[in-house]
Order: sequence, then C-alpha cells, then structure tokens
Amino acid sequence: MTALPALREALRRMRNFHEDESLVARWAACLARLGPWISAGRRRLLLSLASLGLLVVSLAGTHTLPGENPASSPAMRTTLAIPFALALFALCYLAALRFDRLPAVVRRRPQVTLHLLFWVVLAVLWATPTAESLWRQAIAQFALVLPFVLWRCGYLLKSGQRGRAKGSAWSDHAFYLWPVWGGSETPYGKGFDYLVRSEAQSAEAFARAQLAGLKLLGLAVVWKAAVALMRYLVWGDPDSPLAGPFDGYTLGIPRVATLISGASAAPLPVAWLSVYCDLVWNTLKLAAVGHVYIGVLRLCGFAVFRNTYKPLLSESIVEFWNRYYYYFKELMVEFFFFPTFARCRVRPWLRTFLAIFAAAFAGNLYYHVIAEQPRLVAGDFAGLWGTYHPRVFYCFLLAAGIFVSMQREQKRRGQSAAARGGMARRVVRIAGVWTFYGIIHIWGVAGGASTFGQRTRFALSLVGLG
Amino acid sequence: MSEDGARARRAADLLRFLRTIQKPGFPIDELDEGANLVAAGLVDSLAVLQIAMYLEDTYGINFVVRGIDPGELMSVAGILDLIEREAG
Repeated sequence: MTALPALREALRRMRNFHEDESLVARWAACLARLGPWISAGRRRLLLSLASLGLLVVSLAGTHTLPGENPASSPAMRTTLAIPFALALFALCYLAALRFDRLPAVVRRRPQVTLHLLFWVVLAVLWATPTAESLWRQAIAQFALVLPFVLWRCGYLLKSGQRGRAKGSAWSDHAFYLWPVWGGSETPYGKGFDYLVRSEAQSAEAFARAQLAGLKLLGLAVVWKAAVALMRYLVWGDPDSPLAGPFDGYTLGIPRVATLISGASAAPLPVAWLSVYCDLVWNTLKLAAVGHVYIGVLRLCGFAVFRNTYKPLLSESIVEFWNRYYYYFKELMVEFFFFPTFARCRVRPWLRTFLAIFAAAFAGNLYYHVIAEQPRLVAGDFAGLWGTYHPRVFYCFLLAAGIFVSMQREQKRRGQSAAARGGMARRVVRIAGVWTFYGIIHIWGVAGGASTFGQRTRFALSLVGLG
Repeated sequence: MSEDGARARRAADLLRFLRTIQKPGFPIDELDEGANLVAAGLVDSLAVLQIAMYLEDTYGINFVVRGIDPGELMSVAGILDLIEREAG
C-alpha cells in the first residue's frame, strides 16, 4: 500500500472509530459490568430526576419583565411558578395516559387544546394589571417558559393519541419535557415515541450510541473551531482571540445584516460572497450546537438522528430543509404538515401545497412568534410585528421553494442515478440550493431594525436592480 | 386466503409501489422487512406522504381520525402491520 491510500484509510478509520467492532465490543463489555444500573428504565428515571432539578434551576434563572414590582421576592415567585409547570406536565401526562376518556373535542384536536391553554394564560396576563400581584408574576414567569415545553407536551399528547403512552410511568416522559441534554423550543430528539424507538436496549446498542455520541461531540468541537476561524478570517471580528495569531490578516467581508441596514457597503461580488458566507456560517453554528445536544442524547443511550447532516451538499431545496435543522423540520411536519395533509383530501398537488404552506409558512411563523415570549407576555404586538414582518415573506418564499422542489423531486423518483447527471450537474444543483437559501435568508436574518423595504432593496441590488 | 398469504400479497404490492417512489441506486429487494426505509436511504422522509396516499387509495385507511404517524410508515413491516390493523 502506498503512502496516500494508507493515510486515507487511516483517516477513514479515525473518522469512523465509532463503527470499529472491536472498540464497540470492549465498550459494551465495560457497560455490561454496570448491569442493571444502566438499564433503559433506570436511565430514564435518573434523567427524569435530573430534568426536574434542572426545571427548578431554569425557572429561578428566568428574568423578570419590565414594569414588574422589583420588591417582590424572586425566590417566592419561582416557588409559585414551579407548581404551574409541574401541573402542566401532570395534566398532559394524565391526558396521554387516558386519551380515550378525554372529551371528544379534545380527542379530535389535542394540539389545538394545548395551544389554547397557552393563549388563555397569555390572555389572563394581558387582562390583569401589571406590577402588583405576586401570583401574576408567578404566572408570567410560567408563561415565559411555556413555549419551551409546549411542543414537548405536544409530542406527549401525540403519544397518547397513538395509544403509545398507555401503561407508561411519569419517568418515561419527564426526561424529555425539560431535557438535560438541552435544546431550544425545538425538541431535539422529539418525544416519547421516537426516543423509545431509538433507545438502546442492550449493552452493545448502548455502546454504539455512546460512541456515535462521542464522535458527534468531537465534530461539534471541529465546527466550533471553524466558526471561530470564520468569525475572524471572514468577518474580521476585532474581538476574536485569533486576531493575534493571524497578525491582523482578515478578508473583512461585511455581514449581510450590516449590508441590509446600510451600516456597511460592498461591491457586488463581495455582497454575493457575504450572502454565501452567511449561509455557511449559520449552518456551521447550527451544526455545532445541534451536535452537542444530540451527542449528549446519544451518550444517554438514544441512537437518534443528527440535527444537521451535510446540508451544504444538498441537491434540492427540500433536501436542504430536511438536513439543515432536522428536528425543527420534523416539528413542522408532525404538527402542521401531516395533520393538514390528512384532513384535506383534495387533488394530490393541492393537498401537498396546502400541507407545505401549513408547515413551512404558517407553522414556521407561529413557532417563531410564540418563541418571542417576553414580548408576548408583555403584550408588545408592535415590537413583534416590527421583528417578524420580514419573516412573513421569508416563510412564503421558503414554502413556495419547498413546494416546487418537492414536485420536481416526486417527478424524479424512480429515475436511475445516471439520469441525474454527472458531477458538473451536481455542482450546479448544489449552487442553486445555496443561492436560494442565501437569498431568502435576507428576509429571515435577525437584523434588528432592518425593514422589509431595506431587505428587498438589498436583494434587488444583488441582481443589479435598485 | 390465509393471513400469511394475504400479508405476502400486500408486501409484494407495497414493494412494487415503493419501487416507483424510491431514490435511485438502492436495492429494495435486499431490504429487510423491518429495516428503516429512510435510514436505509431508500426514500426520503417526505416520501411518507406518497405512502400515506397509497394506503388511503388502496386500502381506504382514514388518517383523519388516527393521524399520520411517520414511525409506522418507515418500514415495510410497519406499513403491513398498519394495513392489517386499519384495513382488517
């Protein structure tokens, strides 16, 4: 074997160390010695207890709202908010457990009922005077954390609807309602059904999941380093610790947000470069964070899919959507796409169109609006509109792009690999996907005060208009 | 027809259908009945829709009441079990 193939083989082995059968066997033997201490049930119980502890800590760390009475005790407020959170968990758990016995209207629309509950809590807050009552502050604190658990409770109700929660214990659910592996409003690892399906049931499966988790954590470190490198080399961030080692050398490409707002200007090729670099930067950042969550989840014994899986190599818009932020896509698909698709039995293309717009447009917007809990709790609708009105267009373009892409993909299904063309065609398809997501991101980028008009003018300037 | 015979016929029909929606270059005949179709690379997760439509049209399964559970539609065995449960 010559040096290059040998090196390539060594790198492949290193990259796929988690699939090395001898390592898996040794790791499994170590885990097997721990025996019942690490059984699936015991792991769930320990994770659930840790989750409850984390819930208390997180509630205590929730910030107060502007206008609240500063004299009231934060500890007392937290003490009052905890029972609200636990009561919600208990309510959802009992509803899932006895789903068949729920009122018909709740059985038909469990998710709508859950979200109505959220809006009722908000309505109570909006209707009561601020700053005085400790109870109101406790409810406000509960409302601030509600969006974090809302979709997770939704997954729990889905398990009940599918009859999978019957006979389950509280500890089979508490661990993903406030997960120790972290996450955002999007539940990484989804809910009970998916986690149970992915749960390691033997020492060998546990070893495989853990090694795959270690690999993902290693990848997270690599992507974090790449993000840090990009932050300095591409964006020229003066606060970066890399400023010293690179002796002040940087490409100094302006961020898309500053080009939109007019805080910086760039010639056309640099503006396009900025659009593509922003896409790469966002992808790397999301991958680094998601790999940590999923890596820890795999260490806990759940062999779940990655959140981000090579999206920059996607050859279609729908493929990118699937690979970029998998658990957000799954959330949209399970809570908006499938229900719409199941209920609207019209022509297949129209059915798909309605389902895609329910998920990528309406669901996407709704998710982001309720994630803005401080503004929602404070009833700051003008602020919400100011932040989210460009996103309406972003979601529209995303949904339209996914629909067109999905129709094209459906036509291509069943084709041979040769019919899809060679490497050049592949590169063109990938470039098309980058361009689409780079462009629509102009209306999705968090850019503070940039208006729809500013964003549209910048987008038009990229094609020489305006 | 025996239960096993009916399942085998449904499985053959299903595989014929899956060939029309599968991604290119994946040998469906070598796939284990319990294998995850998405993880095996045979279909993408959104092909689940076409599987759902196939089940509605061929077996009259109504997803309005029970909802679509992608977990059930991810393997040939899961789809066959669903048909047996819902279509009798």
